[in-house]
Amino acid sequence: MNKSKLKSIAEQIFSSSHAQQTEIILSVSNNSLTRFANNQIHQNVAWKNLGVSIRVVVEKNKIGVASTNSFDEASLKQTVARAIELAKLQQPDPYFQSLPSPHIIPTVDQSTYSATEEELAAGVNEIISAAQAKNLTASGAYSNDTYQLAIANSLGVWAYHKGSSCNLSTIVLGKDSSGFASDVAKNTSEINPAEVGNIAVQKTLESAHPQNIDPGEYDVIFEPQAASEMMAFFQWYGPNARIYHEQASPLSGKMGKQVFGKNITLIDDPFHPDIFPMPFDYEGQPKKKMTIVEKGILKNIAYDSYYAKRYDAQNTGHALPAPNTLGPIPLHMYIAPGDKTRNEMIASVKRGLLVTRLWYVRVLNAKMLNITGMTRDGTFLIENGKIVKPVKNLRFNQSIPEALNNVVAIESKLTRLASFEGELVGLMPTLHIRGWHFTSGTLF
Amino acid sequence: MIKQAQEILSLLPSSIQYADVRIVDQQSEQIATKDGVVEALESSTSRGYNVRILKNGVWGFAASNDSSKEGVEATIKKAMEITRASTRYKQEDVALDDQKPVKATYKTPVTEDPFAVPMEEKITLLLEADKAQRVSDTIAISQTSYQANREKKYFVSTIGSEIEQEITWTGAGIEASAVSGGEFQNRSYPNSFRGQNQTRGFELVRELKLAEHAPRIGQEAVDLLTADLCPSGTFDIILDGNQLGLQIHESCGHAVELDRVLGYEASYAGTSFLTPEKLFDFQYGSPIVNLTADATIPGGLGTFGYDDEGVPAQRTFLVKNGMFEDYITSRETVTTLHKINPKYNKKSNGTVRASSWSRLPMIRMTNINLEPGDKRDISRQAQTLHNSNGSKAPGASWRNGLKISSAHGGSLEELIADTKYGIFMSTNRSWSIDDKRYNFQFGTEIAWEIKDGKLGRMLKNPTYQGITPEFWNSCDAICGRGEWTVWGTPNCGKGQPSQIMYTGHGASPARFRNVKVGVVKW
Repeated sequence: MNKSKLKSIAEQIFSSSHAQQTEIILSVSNNSLTRFANNQIHQNVAWKNLGVSIRVVVEKNKIGVASTNSFDEASLKQTVARAIELAKLQQPDPYFQSLPSPHIIPTVDQSTYSATEEELAAGVNEIISAAQAKNLTASGAYSNDTYQLAIANSLGVWAYHKGSSCNLSTIVLGKDSSGFASDVAKNTSEINPAEVGNIAVQKTLESAHPQNIDPGEYDVIFEPQAASEMMAFFQWYGPNARIYHEQASPLSGKMGKQVFGKNITLIDDPFHPDIFPMPFDYEGQPKKKMTIVEKGILKNIAYDSYYAKRYDAQNTGHALPAPNTLGPIPLHMYIAPGDKTRNEMIASVKRGLLVTRLWYVRVLNAKMLNITGMTRDGTFLIENGKIVKPVKNLRFNQSIPEALNNVVAIESKLTRLASFEGELVGLMPTLHIRGWHFTSGTLF
Repeated sequence: MIKQAQEILSLLPSSIQYADVRIVDQQSEQIATKDGVVEALESSTSRGYNVRILKNGVWGFAASNDSSKEGVEATIKKAMEITRASTRYKQEDVALDDQKPVKATYKTPVTEDPFAVPMEEKITLLLEADKAQRVSDTIAISQTSYQANREKKYFVSTIGSEIEQEITWTGAGIEASAVSGGEFQNRSYPNSFRGQNQTRGFELVRELKLAEHAPRIGQEAVDLLTADLCPSGTFDIILDGNQLGLQIHESCGHAVELDRVLGYEASYAGTSFLTPEKLFDFQYGSPIVNLTADATIPGGLGTFGYDDEGVPAQRTFLVKNGMFEDYITSRETVTTLHKINPKYNKKSNGTVRASSWSRLPMIRMTNINLEPGDKRDISRQAQTLHNSNGSKAPGASWRNGLKISSAHGGSLEELIADTKYGIFMSTNRSWSIDDKRYNFQFGTEIAWEIKDGKLGRMLKNPTYQGITPEFWNSCDAICGRGEWTVWGTPNCGKGQPSQIMYTGHGASPARFRNVKVGVVKW
């Protein structure tokens, strides 16, 4: 499958649609994932798929969506007919005006890389070897995905992009401790599995024999993975036009106002060279670099064509695939780096906790963006600027806006991060946050 | 389709130890309304197949939607290449339990086919409920959702199994959100996060009577805006069945997944505190706590005929009279557990499922249930818990002299009447648990104070937290069969690559003593 073949499928679908407007999303994926546990590969899988989702508009503002992964002529015609049938049965959406018109799409790197099963297995083996050398147990996953995405609509939109990613993460287990490390890149040659393994092994050794610690308010040094796990929820529930205008976002009604500390700048950059570029959204509209918060002041939120027209705003190119009940989301957001090194940040803490990562973070109240969750895979007590001992994991209950008003320092570099449990960001610095609320402990 | 699956199987080389082929054809339909507008109306189909091969003691798995001759050959070649790559770094051989070949069909009993109900009727039903929730100007968002899914699965294996199944499940729910100043409150019916879901047809949606309940749900959302904050402290709590379902899911269901216990999920979802040495020798809960995995319950969202390894659906006691009895298992994990704990000598209890044709089957919850209370249990309350050796079982120290309540096995009304002071919590709003399934925290949409056996003031932002065995050992009353419902959880995530599975949880309201409540700073 390639660009011209996808275009001909799109033309075939257009020719069989008599809807007023038609939009087509074509996605091609080739995936491999090598998963390991107990120091051996236990799940090694590959799958490929080609799918199409068709959105049609009839009678000005009645919309239906149908999708399939069968590409024979009859199935495609049937899927178009199903979408039209649904649209005719729809109620009019008074806020819908039109599918978007074509715009020039930026040019980005479209190189791809397909790793072999041998290559992934050899990388995994490097991590297992690093763990076994210290009598530890490694688990993790090493994956390679290549993808093509094409979006077309009957108003002339045609957008095509292809890319690939390699994603390696590991959790190394000791008798009473664990350590996490990961990396992500376009090509396996940019990933050093042995180094990833060594980082996780070191964390596991350092976090052995964790001690009890009382819950309470602590200064925290959030390593980039922990920071990204917190900020993922801000991305979904914060600068999202749907939630913002429903008055359900903590940012609602605060455009142009100081919402966070003056040291916080949030940027959505789909073209950042260290992450995976994405030149257009799921309506085929061009993406651009956007400052969401500048020095603590709310500057922009994410819109797609529907919410832009509904609320008389500029479309910022943040549409998700239709039907989208989540609202537009900034998928490439990071906190702008500060001026400190990780070691300087630790040295500045009188008493606090170094947190490797968070786990099972969930929203308690979307309006306040209160979240709860646990620490995981390496939590350490810092006293007088030094890491003094590992501690058992803690549960927190914390408002994200409050935390972003209490950031004391930000690391000067951004770390590339793999997506682990729904996080969207690809880059994040280490953060020093004052007064993080831990409310209980666990037994390990 | 069975013939097509057999043709794929016949192309595999004779050098393999075992293989199975699954062809899956999925159909789904979703409607979502918001503020009187149909926000999503979608129909989707997905078809594909996979081959799972055991060769040289390692697995290979490949899947594709290309069923042409070339596509099938490429898929088989890929699966074989994967086994070669894994063999090179193998440390231990995979072994499977013995299973008899099965030739069978299974179809979810459906009274009213959800896909045959006219779309206009479904939309009208939802829009009526959407509108009926808007009881006040402070209702900022009114939403409804409906989903129907059908999965046709064709399974063949080298032991001679041929199984054809058709699973249908349906669900619907409503949600009202009220806003005033900085306050934002939600209420849902019959459950949050996509309502109630069961392996049934459209009859479920009709029985829910969404529009009839909508004004109450809207009014409760409005009332929550001015309700008192749930107090913080240590209280007795009664959990409604819809909240208890998720409590079971997180603190029992995931904890008894044998693949997690054996470390297979350590890289993602974590492990479990229910380690093999605790099997048959751990007081998981109080003596009235009986937890089962039961894939045979009519209508349960985790109900099917055969799992994706061709093992028949079963009912298994996981916790019996409070004692930890069993895991949910697969053909591979039971052989591994037997090596660790020779006392364990069982075959797979049939809980392996994959979320689609493109995913590897793995252990998933079926219907994990807290069995309803039985008044006969009360006569056993004087018994002291002992393990098989006559010594006190580990975990029993968490019980702290708990006595079974006389309200056990009765109605919710009786249970509330039996509670001097406590908090009744309903409908999940948030959930979180650590990676060994010890420390959990749940929030619910709504609560009411119980004083002298009566429901009193409404409370907002209720949360409670605890440590799993301590919590289940504090359970002193479970309502009876009349209050028991199998709640559907259609969004259970597990595995890499991620798989979202549909599971069920039978529960009736239950009381827990001395639970930490309301510790969140609002």
